[in-house]
Amino acid sequence: MSELLQVRNLTKHFGGLAAVQDVSFDVNKGEIVGLIGPNGAGKTTTFSLLTGFLTPTRGTITFAGRRIDNLKPHVICRLGMTRTFQIVQPFPEMTALENVMMGALVHHRNIDEAQRRGRNTLARVGLAHKADTPGRELTLVEQKRLEIGKALATEPQLLLLDEVAAGLREAEVDVILDLVRQLNTEGITLLIVEHLMKVIMNLSQRIVVLDFGQKIAEGSPAEVSANPLVLEAYLGKEED
Amino acid sequence: MKLRWNVVAPLALLVVLAGLPLFATEYMLHIGVLVLLAAYLATGWNILGGYAGQHSLGHSLFLGIGAYTSTYLFAQIGLTPWIGMWVGALFAAIVGWFVGYLCFRYGLRGPYFALVTIALAEAMVYLVTNLNALGGAEGLDVRWVGHNPALMQFEGKTAYYYIILIMTALLLFGVQRYSRRRFGYQMIAVRENEDAAEALGVDTLAVRIRALVISAVVTALGGVFFAQYYTYINPRNVFGEGPSVQMLLFAIVGGLGTVWGPAIGAILLVPIAEFARSSLGNTFSGAHLLLYGVVLVLVMLFMPNGIVGLVQTLERRRRGGRA
Repeated sequence: MSELLQVRNLTKHFGGLAAVQDVSFDVNKGEIVGLIGPNGAGKTTTFSLLTGFLTPTRGTITFAGRRIDNLKPHVICRLGMTRTFQIVQPFPEMTALENVMMGALVHHRNIDEAQRRGRNTLARVGLAHKADTPGRELTLVEQKRLEIGKALATEPQLLLLDEVAAGLREAEVDVILDLVRQLNTEGITLLIVEHLMKVIMNLSQRIVVLDFGQKIAEGSPAEVSANPLVLEAYLGKEED
Repeated sequence: MKLRWNVVAPLALLVVLAGLPLFATEYMLHIGVLVLLAAYLATGWNILGGYAGQHSLGHSLFLGIGAYTSTYLFAQIGLTPWIGMWVGALFAAIVGWFVGYLCFRYGLRGPYFALVTIALAEAMVYLVTNLNALGGAEGLDVRWVGHNPALMQFEGKTAYYYIILIMTALLLFGVQRYSRRRFGYQMIAVRENEDAAEALGVDTLAVRIRALVISAVVTALGGVFFAQYYTYINPRNVFGEGPSVQMLLFAIVGGLGTVWGPAIGAILLVPIAEFARSSLGNTFSGAHLLLYGVVLVLVMLFMPNGIVGLVQTLERRRRGGRA
């Protein structure tokens, strides 16, 4: 297996606070990797560093053989790594179709072509019937799907999903799970941040655990859930 | 084939407007020129302010650059404004690029960008007022050389009317066309959600700078027309706050970020304002400015998306509510 993403000693300081400290991990082509940790562990900061929204204080990020740690988000997107946002970010005045088209326009300058691809993508995330509805009028579930659709339309090699299942009901979570698996079988590599253990344990082939900005464990779902450090981070230390 | 009103209506309007000089009085033509110039400038402002969402409150900066460049070059070396207008446009593009780069690169947004544009336009008023080479506070005349199309000087108002009609028609055509292309969508995406746009591969900095440069060029060309039509410019009437405010006023009243909004705003407001000015000018000077203020407040209160926005909302309701 070849590495698609290589993260080495990634560090981000906000003033005196080390939000991410010396984190290293790889994501291989074709994998689904989960990134977990308690609140404030640095998961979203890591996402923002990987996608260029934040500049690392230290460390390197290599994507598809190329250093990307000083590139802007739009360049990273063009190279094939796209993120979704934990707090959904639709273009409120644009229709669902136009929202998704914005993703397609990265690689397809022609509007008709982008529109055609946009429709396909909307269908894949189950929003075909909402094509003409403005982004602001979609429900939260629909906006979550739209968020995936927008990112998907950029035709990423690596898709970073930030809590796409948060706030959804059981049945809706299952739909998202199926979609993510489907994307993976189509060859998209995924790095996912998720609070819901059900989602992460179900999907991930490998899991990286962060706590207070540092990597405390890495391994298969079974290994990670048996790791005493991880249990401690999530449940607190047992009193002697 | 289905009749497309958004193609038919503008063409019909164009035909009517093109025929206007056949029966209009000089005064009516003058109002026509004012309306078209206002429509043109507001449409140019709307590219940056409406589509890309960066509200410039000092767009007269570019109006003045266009007007002063062509007028100065004509006065000094006799260069025809037909060429001078492109020199002015080039200067405006360069200034626009610098302003855009400095503001947007260093993260000035919203009200801060607006303040910078006001400051720059206002600074130009004082700068030019103190530059004797540019006529100082007295301004510059466009020397009348008699009817001479090659120097953009015409007897009567008909030719001016057609020039600004063509400029406005071309601009509206361009906006209609490009707003439905990649760049148009990118501008809207930047306005709607910068982070999301950036995440989806939009170079948000480049898009904003480009929108500003295009808008600056359009405005500068309008400035050249302004100078040729009035044959006189001074620092306050081209670089001052008056033109800046009118551009955004018509765009906001008509509908920000719509193709036809700014033109509709100008068509509705300019004649009313001119009527107020001419009928109340002696007893109540500045009546038209008061009127602008009242209209702006009413629009903000009752139709924040402007006239076009209101029409769209009503249209959507008529078609069976919110999808």
